[in-house]
Amino acid sequence: MLRHLLSRLLLFVPMLLVISFIAFGLNQCSPGDPVEAALESSGVMPAAYLREYRQKAAALELDKPPFYFAVTSAAYPDTLYKIIPQRNRETAAALIAQFGNWPEISRYLKQQDIFKAKLESIRKDFGSKDQFNTAFYAIERLPQAYQTVSIQAGLDSIGFALAQQNPALQQVVSPEFEALKQAYQQIFLKQSRWKLYLPAIHWHGSNNRYHRWLASILKGDFGKSLKDGRLVSTKIREAVSWTLTLNITAILLAYLLSVPIGVYSAVHQGSKADRIISTILFGLDSMPNFWMASLLIIFFTTPDYGMDFFRVLGPLSLPSDAGFWERFLSALAEIILPVFCLTYGALAYISRQVRASTITALQQDYIRTARAKGLSSRQVVWKHAFRNALFPLITMFASVFPAALAGSVVIEHIFNIPGMGQLLIKSIQGDDWPVIYTILMLASLLTMVGILIADLLYAVADPRVDLNNKNRN
Amino acid sequence: MSIFKRKKKQTQDGAEIPSGHRVHSSGGWRRFCKNRAALWSLRILCFLLFIAVFADFIANDKPIYCRIEGQTYFPILKAYGIKSGLAKGDEAYFRREWQNEAYEAVIFPPIAYNPQQSDTPNSYVSPFGKQAVPSWRFRHWMGTDGIGRDIAAMMVHGTRTAMLVSVISMGIATLIGLLLGSLAGFFGDDRLRVSTPRLLLNLTALAAGIFYGFGVRSFAIGEGALATELIKSTSILIAGLLIANLIAGWIEKRFKFSDSIAIPADMLVNRTIEILYAIPTLVLLLSAAALIQKPSILYIMAIIGVLRWTGIARYIRAELLKIRSLEYVEAARAMGLSEWRILFRHALPNGLAPVLVAIAFGMANTVLLEAFLSFLGIGLPPESASWGNVLQNARSYPQAWWVALFPGLGIFITITIFNLIGEGVGESIVP
Repeated sequence: MLRHLLSRLLLFVPMLLVISFIAFGLNQCSPGDPVEAALESSGVMPAAYLREYRQKAAALELDKPPFYFAVTSAAYPDTLYKIIPQRNRETAAALIAQFGNWPEISRYLKQQDIFKAKLESIRKDFGSKDQFNTAFYAIERLPQAYQTVSIQAGLDSIGFALAQQNPALQQVVSPEFEALKQAYQQIFLKQSRWKLYLPAIHWHGSNNRYHRWLASILKGDFGKSLKDGRLVSTKIREAVSWTLTLNITAILLAYLLSVPIGVYSAVHQGSKADRIISTILFGLDSMPNFWMASLLIIFFTTPDYGMDFFRVLGPLSLPSDAGFWERFLSALAEIILPVFCLTYGALAYISRQVRASTITALQQDYIRTARAKGLSSRQVVWKHAFRNALFPLITMFASVFPAALAGSVVIEHIFNIPGMGQLLIKSIQGDDWPVIYTILMLASLLTMVGILIADLLYAVADPRVDLNNKNRN
Repeated sequence: MSIFKRKKKQTQDGAEIPSGHRVHSSGGWRRFCKNRAALWSLRILCFLLFIAVFADFIANDKPIYCRIEGQTYFPILKAYGIKSGLAKGDEAYFRREWQNEAYEAVIFPPIAYNPQQSDTPNSYVSPFGKQAVPSWRFRHWMGTDGIGRDIAAMMVHGTRTAMLVSVISMGIATLIGLLLGSLAGFFGDDRLRVSTPRLLLNLTALAAGIFYGFGVRSFAIGEGALATELIKSTSILIAGLLIANLIAGWIEKRFKFSDSIAIPADMLVNRTIEILYAIPTLVLLLSAAALIQKPSILYIMAIIGVLRWTGIARYIRAELLKIRSLEYVEAARAMGLSEWRILFRHALPNGLAPVLVAIAFGMANTVLLEAFLSFLGIGLPPESASWGNVLQNARSYPQAWWVALFPGLGIFITITIFNLIGEGVGESIVP
């Protein structure tokens, strides 16, 4: 038993490692710019914004390589990750993907900065403010343009604005502009697309983001939310109390109700009552909880149908300084509906399992023996049949719990409950990855522990189960 | 399903077969037909598939057939032609307001609206209330939403979305699940033996296929038409693997390799399944859907397909564990058939029946997942007609009960029939 427990716990390590790869990989592939998600101001003062952006990027360690190594085309420089902001990096990557000649592209991108600085220095000498704005707008957008058409359009509109200036001004600015156009021409002339088809492995060493992220997680530091800068652990602790309370209430209710229901309909198998119960349970099992929640909200919380018995939890009904239990009790009237939505699915599922396993148990020989020796039917059902029908109840606990947690994602979203589900959806909509991957890892850990507990309980309940037998499945 | 009456109690194979009925060799189909709930579910499923395929002819703002000024048109067919590039759209075709033309003769689809079209004077009209429509022919049978879109039309096209997502993603899941599950079950840990050059070549081809198919082409995939580019990339990967195996076969023959390495297929597949089991699907699905830049139904199908194969793999693995030690497999081996041929020609087809159960339940799950994602507004384009999408709008205007009722009913019925079919198949396999 202990050996089995230890070996299972040891297996957690590689599994969590793989899950951390998945979480981190998803983060890397996410299209959003984490710095922009974290910064509140969005490009009002370009120079100040860029400075702020750089600081934030450094704070988020975005100036470090993402992983221990990278496999890319030989056309890409190994320091591509150093280009910030992210949009400029994506443009550079898109240009490389089209032409494959990084030296020329890098020169062209640098020339953009030089020309932009020059243009700013002659802001006052421009003929009209509008003309300057046209040119400046175009050069500001150029770092994000990667399609030939849009780059050419940008260059053309700058050229057009410059052509309207007096010759002296044109003289001042033309060398830089010519250099920029020249640099762009060079990209076309010196294409090296063959480099794209050569693989290259870049080794970055252990000073990378994944390594540092994993190290800090092992120290118990889950980082800060990009959105509000609060600790992820604090946010999750606040949210988890709601989710756990709701789900534990719901699962307890489901178990308490489903055992009598399931046993009753198993004992009266084939009767009218059993048929009705089975139909209702089957229907509830297929009923999507977000539909049920929507219907309940529409019919029972709005005055339009004269049945507004309940309220929906609003942010107003939550005094933020009060303790959790105080808040919970004050919100009790609003919590009945979500608890119902969380309960009925589990109730239907568990009752059906209890019914099926009790029916199987009632068909066994020892039940006939028990009946034959004159035990009352109550004793037969509860002492002999039910005990043996307990198995699925035990294993189900491991699967019902993660399922209930997942199910509460949408219920919390609909009923506006500040739990884990709502936190997850808000973080996903806001690209708040530190929160997302913490939730992903925690939920996975919970599920693994649940499966392990189910296996152990199984062995405790039934001495015939041999955990060390590898061929069970 | 005890509540549904059955014509007869299940009988032993061959007993009480009404004369004139064709008897399937295994009797499974006959047993399935006796379960009336499952049979009716299958019929409803066929009906839903029919709606999904012919959605454009059932709910459309254009007529199926019409005659204007002596000329005959088939506008819906023409729309197909224009989309596929076979027909050219003239200006009159695009300019025409199909619902206000003076027709000499016309046949409109049963629901004379398309799901995107907003009939602005009719915002939130009840199915039973007064509607500002020219005739009963243009009535909104299931009401409208806030911008006057016809709920019935959205239901019809939502059926198409739901069926498309569930069929294709379960198709992907079935392919992956069958392949990995049968490798794990049939070969176990020590029977999948591969010569060293074949193993090395396959690994190289896999790495190269991913690099050239997806890494190098990532820009093309992002910019071009997604479906075509993805098919091209996958073809590159498959072609690479094929070539590697051809070369490996040649090398094996030419140099007569005898040593081989056993691949622990069962262990690898089981570990992968365990990991996918440990991550809550919904959380993983939501995080994966957050990666989508251009919302498209294709991504949703691919993500669900890649995540939901584990159930199928477990079923087929368990079946093949039994089958691989049966006598006819031994006999085939004794006859000198290759292991792969035995697996795909003899063992796998006999293990397929239980997989149908997993597929049916998987379909129910996929319909739910698609509705769930579009309900949250993650992953699917907002203008695409989907049941979850319609349901999502219900909360903003509680008076409109019809906006909440019908799409939910659609999801509920679809899930129920898939569950009933799954149960029916399960019962008919075990006599």
